[in-house]
Amino acid sequence: MAGGEKNGRPVNFWPGWYAMLTYVAMVAALWCIFVYAPTEKAQGIVQRIFYFHVSSAMTMFVAFFAVFVASIIYLWKHADWWDQTAMSAAELGVLFCTLVLITGPIWGRPIWGVWWTWDPTLTLTLVLWLIYVAYLMLRADATDPRRARFAAILGIVGFIDVPLIRWSIEKWRNLHPDPVIVQSGGTTGLPPAMMLTFLVSLTAFLLLFVFLLRQRMAIARRRHELEVLRYKVDEALFG
Amino acid sequence: MSVNGAFMRQAGAILAKDLKTEWRAREVFTSMFVFTVLVVVVFQFTIGSNPALIREVAAGVLWVALLFATVIGLQRAVQMEGEEDCLQGVLLAVQDRSALFLAKALANMIYLLVVAGCILPLFALWFRVDLTASLPDLGVILALGIVGLSVLGTLFSLIVLNIRMREVMLPLLFLPVSVPLLIASVYATGDLIDGKTLADIRDYVILITVFDVVFLVLAVLIFDYVVEE
Amino acid sequence: MKNFWYLFSAYTIIWTALWAYVVYLSQANRALKQDIEALRAQLDNVIAANDASKEGGV
Repeated sequence: MAGGEKNGRPVNFWPGWYAMLTYVAMVAALWCIFVYAPTEKAQGIVQRIFYFHVSSAMTMFVAFFAVFVASIIYLWKHADWWDQTAMSAAELGVLFCTLVLITGPIWGRPIWGVWWTWDPTLTLTLVLWLIYVAYLMLRADATDPRRARFAAILGIVGFIDVPLIRWSIEKWRNLHPDPVIVQSGGTTGLPPAMMLTFLVSLTAFLLLFVFLLRQRMAIARRRHELEVLRYKVDEALFG
Repeated sequence: MSVNGAFMRQAGAILAKDLKTEWRAREVFTSMFVFTVLVVVVFQFTIGSNPALIREVAAGVLWVALLFATVIGLQRAVQMEGEEDCLQGVLLAVQDRSALFLAKALANMIYLLVVAGCILPLFALWFRVDLTASLPDLGVILALGIVGLSVLGTLFSLIVLNIRMREVMLPLLFLPVSVPLLIASVYATGDLIDGKTLADIRDYVILITVFDVVFLVLAVLIFDYVVEE
Repeated sequence: MKNFWYLFSAYTIIWTALWAYVVYLSQANRALKQDIEALRAQLDNVIAANDASKEGGV
């Protein structure tokens, strides 16, 4: 969709080149993952899940961090724009969180021999999923301005909880070692070609995140506009 | 907010009013206590009669019971506020709204402490654990954990007060956020039952304390936004 | 190509999910845009009709 103006309002301030850039980055990431990156010796080809799995996880954290920051500014400034940012980022965070939770077990099954282990990061992701799904439920109808404020508070509380969850899970994990480890799969100390592939994937995901965020915010803004218009029509019709 | 005489007096007055109402009706406490007993008994049935297994899960059952008791107590409190619509009146009367939060959290803390005190003998009896040696240490962990549960639970209960699906939303919001507190409290309690002392479980004590302090400060800072009209 | 199906399903799921979300977003956006335009046209009509009836009354 190209940018344009109607009645002096920007209908879609969405530059087409940005969508193209995101698209190119995604294709480049795929090319790197399946053609350029070497196959890891210990894990074989499933290791290639790593690039999108970890990119999703990092994008998820960026999204939840965006919810946190936007929530603070919303409570402070009371501007709808920040509330729409927080809500849209939360929805995207849950989307990427779901992708992490799906690809984690698919990667883990051939490596660990089980679909699920209470691996600290995977467990943290699961708890975050529960928190932010509750966030989305809390604001299922966004019409009540008070609800936006409550959601902002949950956005702040939820993100502050992240290090505490991480800390507690690590303590708890010391008591529950991995059930079966078929192969140990380390991802630290990546060789340069793999690191580059990962960075390209991460860049693509972050570009995609911003793209989706702005699309989602356009929906939120339009819903708001629609409500204002409905109110105006009612007023004009019935005084 | 300012912690001064007036603030404390206001918080004290609201707390005294709540406790007096509760003393007459005993609704919140009764539902919390009966529910806690129920959770402990139901878990007994599901675990079976293996003594080693019972001992292993005892701490977890105790904290799950307290966690649910918090939800039940807060739901009842929220329902009563909604029925009588007295929160608005109180809000108009107090200058510092954090006083209201503090009073509500303290009330919940007192109910939970009483419930914990009543359930401990039954718990020791049914789960066949000897708590006499570790009682003072256990008291510290229970008190610290209950502070966290009450602070976080009260904040969320006041958030859901005005929304449609409040009965469902309170546990949905409260349970995942309280995960760190739950993990630390369960394992701290388990270690104490196994004969360790507070010095051995310093990490858990620190974690619970950090949780309490972080959410108490945060709740007091943002409470004005919860009740603002 | 050991474990090919794990790799295949992981990427298929990611791409399908992202694609479905993009489609959902653009459809929702388009529907909202149409609703807004329709409502705006209705509002203009109503205002015009109101003005006309006022003038007729005087």
